[in-house]
Amino acid sequence: MSLYEHTIIAKQNHSADQLKSLKTKYSKIIEKNEGEIIKIDDWGLLNLSHEINKNKKGNYIHFKLKGNGLTVSELEKNEKIDKNLLRFLTVRVKKFDLDKDYFKQENNFNKYDKKKTERMVNNEKEI
Amino acid sequence: MKKKFKRKVKKNYQRNLSKLNLFQVSKFQFKKKCPLSEKNAPKIDYKNVKLLKKYISENGKILPSRITSVSQNKQRKLSLSIKRARILALV
Repeated sequence: MSLYEHTIIAKQNHSADQLKSLKTKYSKIIEKNEGEIIKIDDWGLLNLSHEINKNKKGNYIHFKLKGNGLTVSELEKNEKIDKNLLRFLTVRVKKFDLDKDYFKQENNFNKYDKKKTERMVNNEKEI
Repeated sequence: MKKKFKRKVKKNYQRNLSKLNLFQVSKFQFKKKCPLSEKNAPKIDYKNVKLLKKYISENGKILPSRITSVSQNKQRKLSLSIKRARILALV
């Protein structure tokens, strides 16, 4: 058994219910094929840095799962067919860092963060 | 009188040389260390977009390590994680 991080980008016009159904659909597939879900993160609606099939925004869903080759291949087989998704990515990792949420902080403190980063950049320039 | 004057000039010349040498040595030691292999350095990860954007040019190209002074080992990991972030359209 090895550890995987799996992210999905869904299309932007999905409602919250549709996203939930997507989550349950893929978590069921994982659990059927000898897998085990440790955590599911919602990164929310983010701007894509470049357009993918004429889409400018996407809903990101992030899975952290335990499994073997069968679970991953079965997941990706189903995702290739799915028309609701733009992209997916699986990465094998040695350890999960469950403390850090890179995308949650930005949503909560967006305005403050921008000011802070501007100050930091200015300070660095002066030094 | 002439001899004394010559000695003075020589001494001054030597002092200047020693100062010059010191200056050059300090310049060589001023090479930057790798910012990602220090203590408490941030972890390289494809989700950490803020970090990755520091090592990318305005056109989205990966900057060479001779400009950013990242060590060879970390540069390999950086380029891998930048390419992963590109797939997810984060960078």
